[in-house]
Formats: sequence, C-alpha cells, structure tokens
Amino acid sequence: MKGGIEEFLKTEKFEGYYEELIVELEKLNSKLHIFSNINKGLSTGLPFSVKDNICVKDVVSTASSQMLNGYTPPFNATAIERLPKEEFGFIGKTKMDEFGFGTFGINCKDHPLNPFDDRYVTGGSSAGSAVATAVLKHHISIAESTGGSISCPAAFCGIIGFTPTYGLVSRYGLIDYASSLDKIGVMGRSSADIRYVFDKIKGSDRYDTTCVDHPISKESRKKLVIIDQLMAGVDEEIASSFDRTIGKLQNIGYYVEHKSIPFIEKTIPAYYIASMAEASTNLAKFTGFKYGLKINDFSKGYNDFFTEARNNFGLEAKRRIVLGTFVRSSSVKSKYYEKALRLRHMMINALGVILKDGFIISPTMPIKTPTVKEAEDFDPVKEYSIDSITVPPNFAGLPHISFPSDYIKGMPVGTQIVANHFNDYALLDFVERWESQFEYRFKYNVGAL
Amino acid sequence: MENEDFDRLLRICRLSLEKGEKAKIKHEIDGIIEYFNTIDGVDCDKYSPSYHPIDIPSKRRKDEPEQFPDVGKLLRNSKIYRFFIVGPKI
Repeated sequence: MKGGIEEFLKTEKFEGYYEELIVELEKLNSKLHIFSNINKGLSTGLPFSVKDNICVKDVVSTASSQMLNGYTPPFNATAIERLPKEEFGFIGKTKMDEFGFGTFGINCKDHPLNPFDDRYVTGGSSAGSAVATAVLKHHISIAESTGGSISCPAAFCGIIGFTPTYGLVSRYGLIDYASSLDKIGVMGRSSADIRYVFDKIKGSDRYDTTCVDHPISKESRKKLVIIDQLMAGVDEEIASSFDRTIGKLQNIGYYVEHKSIPFIEKTIPAYYIASMAEASTNLAKFTGFKYGLKINDFSKGYNDFFTEARNNFGLEAKRRIVLGTFVRSSSVKSKYYEKALRLRHMMINALGVILKDGFIISPTMPIKTPTVKEAEDFDPVKEYSIDSITVPPNFAGLPHISFPSDYIKGMPVGTQIVANHFNDYALLDFVERWESQFEYRFKYNVGAL
Repeated sequence: MENEDFDRLLRICRLSLEKGEKAKIKHEIDGIIEYFNTIDGVDCDKYSPSYHPIDIPSKRRKDEPEQFPDVGKLLRNSKIYRFFIVGPKI
C-alpha cells in the first residue's frame, strides 16, 4: 500500500475510468448515503472528498444543516486550495452530524450507514468521509475533528483517521464548531497516503492567525503508555481485542507501561463545557439572511426574524446553543467555562509529562459499533460519555491517529495512538510499522484499477 | 434550572421550541448541567485558563484593502438590493 497516491498518479487509467467510478459510486451512495453531492464532472487526479463543513468554491457547503441550506462559498478553504489541481480531483461533499454535533453520524437527514454492515452506525461526526474512504480504493478525505470526529468514524468504518496537532492545518474556510478545538485532518487507507496529503495542506496561513509554522518532529518511542482510567468501562470484547493488539506490538519491539491520571474522566464534561461555549458564539451568526437559508419576510423585527430563522437548527444544535450560552453567563462563567479551561491546562501538563518519552495507546472507542437503533436510544449524557477516549487528545490539541487493529464478528475495531504536540510524523511512522504486519480489510474497492 | 431562567436563555439565543420539544430539552439540559457539575471537585485553581491548547505567537498582517476577485459571488448567498444585503428591521 506504500506510496498509493504516487502509484495511482503514475498508472494509466483505462478509457471511461472516471465515468465508471461515478456510476458505481452513485449506486452505492443511494444505499449508504455517503455524499450530499457528487462531482459528476470528475475527470482527472486522485479522487478526494471533503467533509461538508469545509468550504469548496462554488459547491454547496452546509455542514449538513438546514440552517445553511444552499450556502455556496465563493472561495476554497486553505486545505483545499493547497491540494495541487494536477494531482487531486474533487469527488464530492460528505455527510456529517449537523455542525459536527454527534458521536454516531446519525444527526443529519438520511445519515450515512456503516459499509461493513448497514444496520450499524458509521460513527461521527466525519461520518460520510469515513465511509467514502472505506468504499473507494484510491481516495483520501479531508475531514475535521473537534472532540473525536475523525478517530471515532475511522474506528467504526475500519480506516485510518489522522488528527494533527492543533494549529498545523489552517482552519480558514472551515464552518466553525469550536475555534480552540477544531482541527482539519485526513482520512485514508494507508499512512503513506495520509502523510502525502498532510505535507501538502499543513503550514501557516495568513488567513488564520491560530495556524502555526512549527517544525514537525518524528521522535519515535518504544514505550506505549496505557492510562488506566481510560480503560475503565471499556467493553470486554474491545478490551480483549486491545490486549491482542498490544501483544502484536510487543512482538515488534514496543513495551508497555501503565499510568494513572485520576482526573482524566473529568475532561469529558470540561470539554463539552468549552466546546458548547464556543459553539454558541460561532453559531450566533446564522440568522437567516447572510448564509444560504433565507427568511424573506423582512417586515418582521430582527428578534422575530432571527428566531424564526434559527428554528432551522436541529435539536442537538439548539441544545448546545442553550447550554453554551448558559455556561458563559456572567454569574456562572468562572464555575463552568473558566474552570473547564483551567482543567484543560492541567491536563495538557499531565499528558505532556507522559508523552516526553512515550506514546499513549488505547482502544479508539470504548464500545463495539452500535446499531442505528441502539445509537438512537442513547440519552445525551450517555452519548457524550462514549467520547471518553477521543476527547483528551482533542481537548489538549495533541496529534493522534486511529488505525484498524482487529475485526470482531466482521466489524472493524480501532486503536488510537497519541503523541506530543508537533510530533506528528512519529505517529505516521508508527502506523506505517503496524501496516507492515497487519492487513486491513475492505468490503468495497470502488475505482480499483 | 428554573423555567423562567430557561425561557430567558431561549430569548437570548433567539430560539423558540415547540411545547413538547421544550419539556424534553429542558429535562435533558438539567441532566447535562448536573454532569457538568462533576468538575466541581477538581482542584485546578493554580492553573490559568488555557484559551488555546498550544502557544500561538501573536500574528498581524498589514491593514491593507484587497480586491476580492468576484464580488458578485460574495453576495449570492443573500437577498440583495443594488450592492446591499437586505436584512430585517432594527
């Protein structure tokens, strides 16, 4: 699989290759609901898909929300602009949980379904991006993570999901969820493909003041650290599978240590406080006359006009706006919002000590992939708690990768590895090593040459 | 949360909820706030709030006007009158 993109670019395609690929993909899309739109004019380059909250010039970009119905950006996000046009061809926008608000990928109209078994969820919020990667043989997806939106669907759909250090990839052109947490990343079928794309899209950007031009290291580690509190509540079969993965890693020279961070479970409510506070301000700009959705009754005063327009948010978005506004209220701001950010600072320090000479390893998700029906029955607090393993690195802005490490009853299982800030290449090296002795499985190979 | 506080929050957010939806969300929000309260016991007061997860050097760019290549496209997502975006009454 090494060098998949370069090999694809060098290979001569048979006549009608792209037309055939689009026909096959449209058929699959009607079954698995992967894309909100497909570019039927694709005729060159490696197909790349884009999560629907990342702007692609002249293509409707809605973050899977009715609130942005029809919004057509006049510019490309920086990450899209930086992909060389002679190498990459845009294939479509992928569905997601509305504005990134969801763990299972079911919080949007006609949500995507798992490519291994369509009774199961895909994971979210980069749901369609994960499915697109799982079904297309030669393809990468530009996705985004706030609290686990790349790792979770990568694990449930059996692909690799890479979330870089916060600030390494410009957020210009991203429809924000939480500005201090959002990270644009890459989903692919091999570490080599992800590295290839990451090298194109990273680097400082004059349009994003939080984007940095920092050297990226590749300091390998032999020590793998398991944080005991992250393993609490992990499903028994997932825990056994994780033990097998650790055994395979020990066979190729890694060793394991256990550490304890007693307060780490508190990072989940702290993360939700911070992310909802930021979301409630970022979503304030959607008022029904500037971004896509239009309320045309201008005889109304702005309060009534805005309130009518904002009825188009889904239930989870409304819930987060209300909660985010609440935790920022002057009377409780220090109790919730500021405390959550102090807790983040403490956690970054604690994780930083561990990551000086080791990687943190864990199952990506504490549960097996749920069915759609099971996921629909989760109440909000239970759903938020499922993010217990993906939230800490996201909250701390640490680079992490979820890679397929096992299959239980035909469904993929992911393992997550976390490195220190800016040690992103070391993670890609680690997964490349894993790939030398583990074969990924895919049910579909649309576009195989 | 008291009902009147909840109603006030909805007004601030410019959100309205159907009667059934309102009771459901209010109940869920009470549960989530209880979950948020679990950070109370964590002693982290000696740490400053981390507004960004990494150090971000202060960056500035010159305040110079730039010509957007296609102004028409900037306005296509709104209802426009001449070159103004039409909005509600203030």
